[in-house]
Amino acid sequence: MSFSRYATDDSVISAETVVRGMWTGDTYTLSTFFTSSTYTEYYVDVYQGNPTTTTASVQFDIQYGHIAGSGSVPINPNVRGYSPSRVVYGQYRNLVYGTETTNFSFDGGVTTAQQIYVINISRERYKQSIQPGTLNLTLNSGSATNKIYLTDDSNTTSLTRFLGENRVFYIISGSNGNAYTSSAATTYYGIMLPDLGFIVLDASGSLTPYIQAASPATNSRQDNHLKLYTSISSGSNFQLQSQEVVSSRYFFTRIKNSEFNYTTNPSIIDDNGNLLFNTLINSPQTFITTVGMYNDNNDLLAVAKLSKPLTKDFTKEALIRIKLDY
Amino acid sequence: MAILNNTVVTVDAILTTKGRELLARNDGSFQITQFSLADDEVDYTLYNPNHPSGSTFYGEAIENMPVIQAFPNDTQIMRYKLITLPRGTARLPVISIGYNTITLKQGASLTITPQTLNYLGATSTFEANGYVATISDVRLISSFQGTGITTTAIGDQNLNTTTGAVLSKSVIGTSITLTATTVNTLYGSSLTTLSTTITVIGRDSGARITIPINIQKVSTT
Repeated sequence: MSFSRYATDDSVISAETVVRGMWTGDTYTLSTFFTSSTYTEYYVDVYQGNPTTTTASVQFDIQYGHIAGSGSVPINPNVRGYSPSRVVYGQYRNLVYGTETTNFSFDGGVTTAQQIYVINISRERYKQSIQPGTLNLTLNSGSATNKIYLTDDSNTTSLTRFLGENRVFYIISGSNGNAYTSSAATTYYGIMLPDLGFIVLDASGSLTPYIQAASPATNSRQDNHLKLYTSISSGSNFQLQSQEVVSSRYFFTRIKNSEFNYTTNPSIIDDNGNLLFNTLINSPQTFITTVGMYNDNNDLLAVAKLSKPLTKDFTKEALIRIKLDY
Repeated sequence: MAILNNTVVTVDAILTTKGRELLARNDGSFQITQFSLADDEVDYTLYNPNHPSGSTFYGEAIENMPVIQAFPNDTQIMRYKLITLPRGTARLPVISIGYNTITLKQGASLTITPQTLNYLGATSTFEANGYVATISDVRLISSFQGTGITTTAIGDQNLNTTTGAVLSKSVIGTSITLTATTVNTLYGSSLTTLSTTITVIGRDSGARITIPINIQKVSTT
């Protein structure tokens, strides 16, 4: 007999939260930033290394949006106002608010933010969502005094807020989800939507000391997204973690003392099937390296390897926990 | 394929090619119900019953070997299964099919009836659940059938669905019949013999044998 059946209570399904550093190589801190010389008015890709090298990959994109389409060239020269910046603004307005009648506002609806910056994390990087409380972003427009440390307010608020069905956290001055001062806890510079993987920053004024002012000139290409890129690059610090829920099935493989003490490995027998060593006749030993998992039709569905051979004989039992991720 | 880091206990499983296929089929056939153990990479000649430190150390060289990572090809892994036999067994089951090499002319057929030697106290026996026979290059065989075992699932596996795109094929039975291909194009311009292998595994004992098959060209048209 070479098969043993799993009992019904030998397997369990478990969902576990896995948190990793956001950037390539699961690193938490990104301190150097690169862009390609080719980018569009819609967005600019930001890499962790020189984009001409094979190891560079897109970490996030930066976009600029304007409610009326200023700061970029109309898609059709004969139709003014319908430009990339307006497309970006409308696109994210729809994702965040789900309606075209509500515009971005970062002060509780008092003032409409006419302009926004968006930091859109690569899906490959944020996996399932951004881990709240891990954001640390430094913006610097050039001098030491024009520097701000941004984080989300997940640790300063006792209530998880929602916009529609999306969790939302405000971007405040501070670090690791905590406000720098109590007054900083209520000064909002943007919002973070962890489940959608992007951060929207106010480009209308509150961040002006830390980002070169966006130009809302009409019908002309201003590449305002590069202004945020320059500020992030000068800040040299973008920390974030990703989060995903991995559903795993665990199989508890129970090997009894009387089972699996012989092997069909041809190196243990001679041409007639006789064991090579007499000591193995009454004290057989095997060395488990592989567990195969089968269905009733004897199809091999999954395999697991042990990290080192596991000795098995009539005096030993083993319990091997095998994890199968989906 | 790489070497596993043996400072970490690793028991993560990967799906095999067959497992992925059945998972994608989504018809309930992906149901893990049983397990088997194997020691494919263990060389038992490293077992040293003369070790000066005593019996605890007989398997020292094997116990400290690095283990190779799992690979998804379900026909190349789990080759040498561990089996359950009564204590005191001196001879292990081996499969006999009566040939060391099979040589067929194009279009010729052969039926093999495997037997298991040294199994459950019998010198020679036919296993109740039959044998799995796997041809590694099905293009060389125009017909490959197993007979003698009747269940629905096994019947499905025995359906002759040979195509040029499939590299290997398995059938189940107590007798296995194969017919050599008559297709000449596989020989190219210079070959007169095509070779592949057939592996027979006892479904009860886990014993296995692999022998070569040669298909000789008989026609140049």
